[in-house]
Amino acid sequence: MKGWIALISKDWKLIFRNRLLLIVLIVYPFIIMGVIGAAFYDTGRPVPLGVVNLDHVDKGEIAWVGAWPGGGWLEMQRLMRAGGPVKSFNNQAEALSALQEEGVSMVALTSGQQSDRKWIGADLSRDEVADIFSQLQPSASLKDYDTEQEALKSAGDGSEVLLGLRTEYYPFLGETLWLDGQNNDSSSLLKRFAEDVTEIVEYQSQAAAGEALRKGRVDAVIVLPRGFVHDLKTLDRIAEIEVVLDQSNLVKAEFAETNIRGFLSRINEGVVKSKMAAVAAGLYSLVGGGDFFGTQITGLQQIRDNLENIRAALAGNSQLQESVDTGIELADTVINDIEDALAYLRGTALPIQLDVTSIAGRPLSTKDAVVPSLIGLSILWTGVLCGAILMVGEDEEGMSQRLRLTDMGPFALMGSKLLLATAIVFAQSIAMLLVAVAILGAFASHIPLALLVIAAASFACIGIGLLIAAFARQVAGAVILSVLISFPLIFMTGAVFPLSQMPVFMQWIARAVPVTYAIEALSGVMLRAQSIADVGWEIGVLLAFGVALLTVGSILLKRRTA
Amino acid sequence: MISVENLCKEFNGIKALDRVTLKIEKGEAFGLIGPNGAGKTTLVRILTGQIAASSGEIRFEGAAIDPRERSYRLRIGLVPQEAAFYGRLRARENLELIGSLYGMPRSSISDKAGELLDWSGLMPHAERQVRLFSKGMQQRLSLAMGLMHQPDFLYLDEPTSGLDPEARISLWDLILRLSAQGTAIMMTTHNMEEADHLFGRLAVLVDGAIREEGTPEDIKALLGSDRLELKLRLPDAEVLDRLCGPLDLTWTMEDERVVITGNRVSERIPQIVMTLGPDILNLQYREVTLEDAFLRFMGQVRR
Repeated sequence: MKGWIALISKDWKLIFRNRLLLIVLIVYPFIIMGVIGAAFYDTGRPVPLGVVNLDHVDKGEIAWVGAWPGGGWLEMQRLMRAGGPVKSFNNQAEALSALQEEGVSMVALTSGQQSDRKWIGADLSRDEVADIFSQLQPSASLKDYDTEQEALKSAGDGSEVLLGLRTEYYPFLGETLWLDGQNNDSSSLLKRFAEDVTEIVEYQSQAAAGEALRKGRVDAVIVLPRGFVHDLKTLDRIAEIEVVLDQSNLVKAEFAETNIRGFLSRINEGVVKSKMAAVAAGLYSLVGGGDFFGTQITGLQQIRDNLENIRAALAGNSQLQESVDTGIELADTVINDIEDALAYLRGTALPIQLDVTSIAGRPLSTKDAVVPSLIGLSILWTGVLCGAILMVGEDEEGMSQRLRLTDMGPFALMGSKLLLATAIVFAQSIAMLLVAVAILGAFASHIPLALLVIAAASFACIGIGLLIAAFARQVAGAVILSVLISFPLIFMTGAVFPLSQMPVFMQWIARAVPVTYAIEALSGVMLRAQSIADVGWEIGVLLAFGVALLTVGSILLKRRTA
Repeated sequence: MISVENLCKEFNGIKALDRVTLKIEKGEAFGLIGPNGAGKTTLVRILTGQIAASSGEIRFEGAAIDPRERSYRLRIGLVPQEAAFYGRLRARENLELIGSLYGMPRSSISDKAGELLDWSGLMPHAERQVRLFSKGMQQRLSLAMGLMHQPDFLYLDEPTSGLDPEARISLWDLILRLSAQGTAIMMTTHNMEEADHLFGRLAVLVDGAIREEGTPEDIKALLGSDRLELKLRLPDAEVLDRLCGPLDLTWTMEDERVVITGNRVSERIPQIVMTLGPDILNLQYREVTLEDAFLRFMGQVRR
């Protein structure tokens, strides 16, 4: 026993008197924890999102639209003529000049060869333009162009008729939607629902937004189409939003997409709720009277009451009373049906509502989730290095020969190192756990059980270190070998990528790495409220790994000495 | 005290030791000399139980032993070829650690460490980390560590290699004192001056086999010869033949000097001076050293 204490005390002094070793073994994992802790400390930061809002009215700007009228150019002429007299222009410059100087509100260009192109224009009202657009829309799609160049280039392609119009005449552009007592245009709607979820950065054009995305100033770009709010308001068609992601960093792209989906679903929900409220209010006013979508009406209840009065006045004329009864019955039926319809609306307009709770009993953040992995990886780092360095240190100091003559056999030599290294790794992990919980505010539900897992994991990882020692002659070699082995193991433990997302053969390889079990068990007891029975298998595997690695390490060391 | 008989060791079919037979008595200082790769360290490693012999017998105090036996291990000490200590431990801590590992009583560990620090002249540096010591001081500590558990027999494997002359002489002094105190020593070296100075008896190990064994004087007499250099006014070959032949000496001409070599040349100097008398302009005598003898012997072996 005295010899064991002497060996442990000696190794303790050797570590704590060696500044480099102290930094590598003890301090470094805390530095890593600090860096990762800082990186994940404020993970609720909104995702920066570039927005190009095409659904706004800037007076004087010209919008370009490609149209495919059923009857071609002639049909287009007919539609424009219906709104007012049509002017012909000799060339593009003349047409554009008329448009800009407000001589006409809309121009049209036949597509095809340059020589065959014809320009016409008409001074139409906004309603007349809307009428033309609504007549175009069912039979042929419309396509918005960002720039004049893009539009004119496209006009050379064939059957398309190119329309140019000042944005204030563009139908349904810049409309507002009444939500929760506020009128919202596309811009305020976005900002309202993006609050706390993303950080909106507006760009004037898709090109500018694309450039910002390429340079990493925003994580994604969304383009609100013209008539976005109108579509939301009328539900004539589904409002489509174009989303551009930077998938060169998949994690970033996934974050951005999740955030965009999150706040768009909030818009969906808000719009549906608002419409439902409007429909409900309309239905209530049908029964109770008042404002029915802008018209003052007498409610069904009032009508019924009036019928009751008429019925009373017709006392003695049973035939007429029966006729009035039919009207009262009809009013009752309609009132009941409206009440049923209201209940149906309330029950089915938003049939699914998410109620998210965490298995940990409280919502967990990335910071909470990263702590078990961090502790697992620090056990791997310190355990492997500590085991390898302490063992190879004897060879490097030239003491192996001398020690073999003493009363301390190889078992005592290896055992004493195992005890000290386990104590160091264990103490370090406890310190990390305390720092994570007390300073970083991370969550850990079952700390005593976590300590048991840490002890078993330390034992297994030190076993790897002692095995490495059998292949190295010098501390520098042991360190290099330890890093070479630990580095790929980090990626196989589930700490970086989820195990379930790996190919099956990689999952099998991961199962041969002790730290995989350590991280699984640690996250189980810290974050999933698992009991000793739940993590018993992992602890058993870790201990078995430790015993096997120590046995193989001892055999190899003995063989090398011989 | 310790004897080996027909000891052989093979590494992958290559003979490192070939039927080595030796005997070292209690309190004797025995040297093992030989060129690099002769098998000296292999022999020490076998005798200290680090590796097993392929064949042969080792006896300690008359009984056949396995050098890995505890009873034997605890009675021998080792000063390995490379300085062996923990550099970041202090000198006293290194000694006390060895005492603890040999299971010495706690009370005697401190006393013995102090005694050895005094003995090795390291007491003023007892509380310094050993990595800050000079190489000579480190080797003195290494020697003291080998003696901490008071072994009866000490193996020293080239302990002076790489030391400067002052440090080497200081270590020699310690080894001589140790020998005088009755501790048996077996030391390997390829420093012939050291071997001549320290050992009562030595063996020449070449290619794993003992080639010669005896006192340094015996070895010198056996393998080398003294040398008398004469500058003569007019060297006469006939006179020199007549002089050297009956005395069992040989003469040669080297750079206009007559060089007479052979055993016990010094005893023949009066006779030579009487014979060559007035022709002698200059006379120089050099006694054969162990190194001369060893080099001559190695030359013969290699031829």
